[in-house]
Amino acid sequence: MNPLRLVIKEMLYRRITSLIILFTVIVAATVSVAIYTLSKASENETRKIMREQGLNLYIFPKGTNLIDFYSVNNTPVFPEIYVDRLAESKTFDAVRHLTGILQVRYSDWQDPNGSVHQIILMGYKDEAMQRFLPQQETMGFDVEKGTVHLGALISKNVSPGTQFTIKGRDDKIFSFTVGKRLEEGRGIIDQGVAFNLADLQEVLGMSGQINKIEALGCVCKDGRIKNARNQVQSIFPDLEVTEISSIADARENQRLMMNKYGAFIIPFIILSCLLITGLLFYQNITVRKKEIGLLKAMGNSSFSIIGLIVSKAFLLGLAGGVIGFFTGNLIAGYFGTEIFRFTASDIKPLWNLLYLCIILFPLLWMTASWIPALLASNIDAGKILSQEY
Amino acid sequence: MIELAEISKIYVKGGIIYPALNNISFKLEKGDFCSVIGASGAGKSTLLNLIGGLIHPDSGKISFNGKDIYKLRTREIDMYRKRHLGFMFQQFHLMPYLTVFENIRLACSTKEHYDKMGFYLDKCGLTDLQNKYPAELSVGEKQRTAFVRSIISDPDLLLADEPTGNLDSANSAILLELVREFNENDGTVIMASHDPGIAGYAGRTLKLEKGRLVD
Repeated sequence: MNPLRLVIKEMLYRRITSLIILFTVIVAATVSVAIYTLSKASENETRKIMREQGLNLYIFPKGTNLIDFYSVNNTPVFPEIYVDRLAESKTFDAVRHLTGILQVRYSDWQDPNGSVHQIILMGYKDEAMQRFLPQQETMGFDVEKGTVHLGALISKNVSPGTQFTIKGRDDKIFSFTVGKRLEEGRGIIDQGVAFNLADLQEVLGMSGQINKIEALGCVCKDGRIKNARNQVQSIFPDLEVTEISSIADARENQRLMMNKYGAFIIPFIILSCLLITGLLFYQNITVRKKEIGLLKAMGNSSFSIIGLIVSKAFLLGLAGGVIGFFTGNLIAGYFGTEIFRFTASDIKPLWNLLYLCIILFPLLWMTASWIPALLASNIDAGKILSQEY
Repeated sequence: MIELAEISKIYVKGGIIYPALNNISFKLEKGDFCSVIGASGAGKSTLLNLIGGLIHPDSGKISFNGKDIYKLRTREIDMYRKRHLGFMFQQFHLMPYLTVFENIRLACSTKEHYDKMGFYLDKCGLTDLQNKYPAELSVGEKQRTAFVRSIISDPDLLLADEPTGNLDSANSAILLELVREFNENDGTVIMASHDPGIAGYAGRTLKLEKGRLVD
């Protein structure tokens, strides 16, 4: 008789035990998939939130007075080509999203009503990609050439449909289309205007020059800032690196939070479920002693007895793993919508996890059934099948 | 065909020694029908389990076709049981989740065995019951199913341990006729029973008392 048929008929006959074992696999798989999916969603959410908060590493020329940086418009400058040179360096991997910026204070901007204001001008170079590293989505500070993004306070002084005008070098008037009006509460940019770097350099007559690079530091083993500083200064000794630690800490903590929960909860749930499964298999072989004894009396080897028990664990592990994958995704989708503001709609099944579920859970459940299977193979058929003692 | 030489077996329970078999020797040839009779606890089941390779003797030797079965490797003992032996028990030991047909099929290891199923089902009056589960059968039907399962693989030796113990006289007579027919077709039978009436079916009777063979 086909052993698989024998296993399936036994599972259907003792369906309560089989369903409980199946349930343990489903619980373990569901929790694992849901937490893993949510932790990935959490990372994406963090990325989006941090995008809102800005970059956490500033790279300046050495000697820059950081206290006066936003109020003095003659801070030291350096060539924008530095950004590309950093991005091209194969040893430079502790810092990502390199954004070259020219940031100056402009003291006599005249709004369309004739009032004069002190504003901040920021020119953004397109983000430099490190081609030798896995590519990531840009942080989104890019400003299209010929357009400007108006900070919330400036925006109030520029009517919809009108162009943003500013007096530049040699008293020349430059006009730009308003590409975006930024919401208030975004810090210094509230009272500023964001340009494409080339446009601002032309306005100010500072071609090819920037005065800082903003970037994201990695979460490195030996410290974020130390690693980034070493790498930058090994290429450009005349630059220094400063960290905006509140942003960096928030980013790191947020990213690690779900991973920390997952690293505890997933093994705990899986081990608990495996323990329950082991006990259920033990109970199952206790009930089946006579069947197993008979199979041995009929000449079935210990190996085939083990095979019958372990196959059952394999089938339940496989079925539970697949069901758990889909329920895990349903739960992640349901709770993800509640938890994550930005990325709720991006929570999608991670299909690689399905392959992992198909392999991992049958293997784990076969392991849980292993000791009961060994005990089954050692059942004393003579003692079980006869009645004398 | 099968020879037991000075076989002894003891059980130890709670530090007390129970001699189950003491210095048993006998020989059976192909086609013999041997009944082993004795009271409960006389050692009948132990004797059958020893011949069936299910337990080891403490001393002595059991040879099947000249080979000491307890010198065989585990896999070879499994094959010895599969190819040469058929077991029948008082409690039938049918798989509760398999039909009559599937319970018998469990013992089929070749197509020839499978092809004979119809013949035996018919002969034992099980054709109409072949799709029923053990819980739906009478005790006589269960034992006939167990009988067909034990002989479907054409064993050289049928070991029957109190096969009529749970049957009424009518069902016992039917079963014993089936066993006799198996024996008449050159099958060797060792049947253990506490019922001396069984001896009438056997060509040879061994009487066990407290683990010893008596005249």
